[in-house]
Amino acid sequence: MPIEAMTNDIRLLRFLADDMTQAELGLRVGLTRQTIAAIEQGRYSPSLDVAFRIAHVFGKRIDDVFKWTPAEGEGEAGA
Amino acid sequence: MSPLERRARLMLWGMCPAYLVYFVLQIVAPTWLTTLPARLACLAAAAGVHVTVFAIGSLVFGRKDRGPGLTADERDLAIEGHATRIAYSVLLIGMVFVGMIMPFNQGGWQIVNGALLVIVLAETTRNLLVARGYRGGPRLAH
Repeated sequence: MPIEAMTNDIRLLRFLADDMTQAELGLRVGLTRQTIAAIEQGRYSPSLDVAFRIAHVFGKRIDDVFKWTPAEGEGEAGA
Repeated sequence: MSPLERRARLMLWGMCPAYLVYFVLQIVAPTWLTTLPARLACLAAAAGVHVTVFAIGSLVFGRKDRGPGLTADERDLAIEGHATRIAYSVLLIGMVFVGMIMPFNQGGWQIVNGALLVIVLAETTRNLLVARGYRGGPRLAH
């Protein structure tokens, strides 16, 4: 079974945003601190809505915050 | 600890010991447990312990579970949904056994206890999976 990897730069972006805490980010996007921690560690993939809200908090585009790497052997359409 | 995880752990702490004792008593079947009132009292005692532990735990921890940033979010719902789907399968398979197979070769209290065991197993599965979901369980997505 192919394993896709979704990573993110939330930890770095929090640091750059005056060391914003996980709880503070959680409050601003409507999530608990534990959920922000789980997203940062890659244990939970958020909904598109939440991903957009997180990117909005940092004033970034969604693909500046979240990175997705296709599984090996997974081709692109038309490739 | 999130309120959902705390509730799941409380349910496990209240339910597992109470019903474990209940089912052991049903298997050992001491002589005092053969009458209907005694069996009903035993069942009521197990349910009572379960409810009491859960109620006291909810009262003690209830205040901690209120406040900003503590309402259930999409990850809580994903963990709960994943646990509930698996627990429902356990319940379904168990009920097929209790409702469609046991009536042909068992009767009375064996069927009652079989149904109760399936409910306890399903509820235990659900709460174990919820608790595990917060502590390094499977990677979930919305």
